Amino acid sequence: MGSRSEFSPQTLAVLAALSGQASAWQHGYALARETGLKSGTLYPILIRLADRGLVEACWQDEPTPGRPRRHLYRLSAAGLASATTALAEAELAAAERAATTARPGADPRRRRGVAAPVVP
Amino acid sequence: MSWASRIATAAGRGAVRLVPADRRDWAEAVWAEAHEVPTGWPRLAWRAGGLGLIAEEGQMARTIGSWLLFAVAAGAAAWGAWPGSPVSHAAPVQGGIIITLALLVCLPLLTRLVLGSPANRAARWLRAGFYVAILAVMPAQTAIRLFLGADPRSGIDRHVFDVIQGPGVPGTVSGSSGWAGEIAILVFTGCSLVVLLALTARRTPVAPATLAIGAGAGLMLGVAMYAISPLGLNVKFPDRPWLHGSAADTVGTLAWILLFGAPLVAGALAGRRCSVEDDPAKAAVAQIWQGIAAGVVSGGVGAAFVTVLGAGTTALMVSSAWVRDLLYHGQHVTASAVYGRELYASQDVPAYFLLLFVFPFIGLIMGLIGTGIANPNPRLPDGGRPGGPPGPGAPEPLPAPPDGGRHVDAEEPTVLAGGADARPTSPTPVLAHH
Repeated sequence: MGSRSEFSPQTLAVLAALSGQASAWQHGYALARETGLKSGTLYPILIRLADRGLVEACWQDEPTPGRPRRHLYRLSAAGLASATTALAEAELAAAERAATTARPGADPRRRRGVAAPVVP
Repeated sequence: MSWASRIATAAGRGAVRLVPADRRDWAEAVWAEAHEVPTGWPRLAWRAGGLGLIAEEGQMARTIGSWLLFAVAAGAAAWGAWPGSPVSHAAPVQGGIIITLALLVCLPLLTRLVLGSPANRAARWLRAGFYVAILAVMPAQTAIRLFLGADPRSGIDRHVFDVIQGPGVPGTVSGSSGWAGEIAILVFTGCSLVVLLALTARRTPVAPATLAIGAGAGLMLGVAMYAISPLGLNVKFPDRPWLHGSAADTVGTLAWILLFGAPLVAGALAGRRCSVEDDPAKAAVAQIWQGIAAGVVSGGVGAAFVTVLGAGTTALMVSSAWVRDLLYHGQHVTASAVYGRELYASQDVPAYFLLLFVFPFIGLIMGLIGTGIANPNPRLPDGGRPGGPPGPGAPEPLPAPPDGGRHVDAEEPTVLAGGADARPTSPTPVLAHH
């Protein structure tokens, strides 16, 4: 049985998006498009990850004329290690769940999250 | 850029200022990134998310919730306390209610500008408790004034009234307390509020544990004081429906002990728990400060507690028959005797407000003494001792042991603030976990 990840699925999605181009700085809107998260969900996640030292953030040096400077993000070294581990664990857990549900004779109620009755 | 976009940008920049400085970059980032989002609903949704972030990071929900709660409680208290038009002394009472509410709104804002917002959860709870106390006392005061102002027309109650209050005009509502009494109560309330707000502000170095210790000691004092004086503060002819004989004497003695002992112990405990790393002079100042604060809080909480419960019980007694039955249950007391007790209790209620000044003052002195007892030899900044000439200064530090170990007679470090590299720049207390 796989261990429960310390990250939520949304945070894992952000980590996956950031680890896709680990060394490159990415924008908030690009991350939102890639993860499908709204700004009100994405930025709190980025803030918590930055608080934990997993994400680095900085302001753009040379903004596009007529546009405000953009905030950029990338994984730190610790963040990359943590993301790699968490994503691998999540993948393993997903594979285990898929194997359990596909097993012949498995109780269909357990698939729906309903506890099976206790047989004396 | 369209005018709508300009307005949205300006509003966003204004809203970003609500976020604490260390989080402002993130709020600005969402707003800046909105320019990359396609115009129309997607950009609007992006900015709505940004506003959500600002609300969350700016702790606006708590602030708005607190203000809403206060508005509801203040409205209910004012509605309950507002006297009707036939009352001749309505103007001072109404003025008192308005000024009290203005003080409750304005003083925290002024304190915030000068000393900062509440420092911690203990500070917020203490402020909330004091606000509840002030709001709860307002309707009680009005009920008592209405009772005192309503002269009985005739009968034995009229005779009792004349004996206790002096002759009045029968059947009129004369009003017993004018502007003088109202101003005195407002001054006591305002001064207590200022002291409380100052002690609980961020830039006042009072530790949360000091506030908690002071409040705990104050509650004990308040309970004992209420047990001994539940119906007005009359030392000469106290009315204690629940206590009789030796029990009253015992609780009375306990109340006196707690009046002086509670702030003394609170000051001693608060002083002992406080230390400043590597700086005995600052530690001594901080310990004295914590002891004084604990003593003042102890006295203030005790006074507020007995004022609220005493005024509330008296107000209920004069306005509800079931409370009178409860208070004098099983006692053979005539109706006129009960009326006389109500009059005495109502007259003595304003004395509770005097406690809001007297108790914190006693607490201040006893807290200081308590700190002195707990730390008998605090080192003053000039290296000397209190009450004596300046001393020769701190002794030279011992040379480091050659083996890199510790001196045998070296004292244990009482408190370390965040590890060896922490160096407080001000005498901010740090709590030891003894």
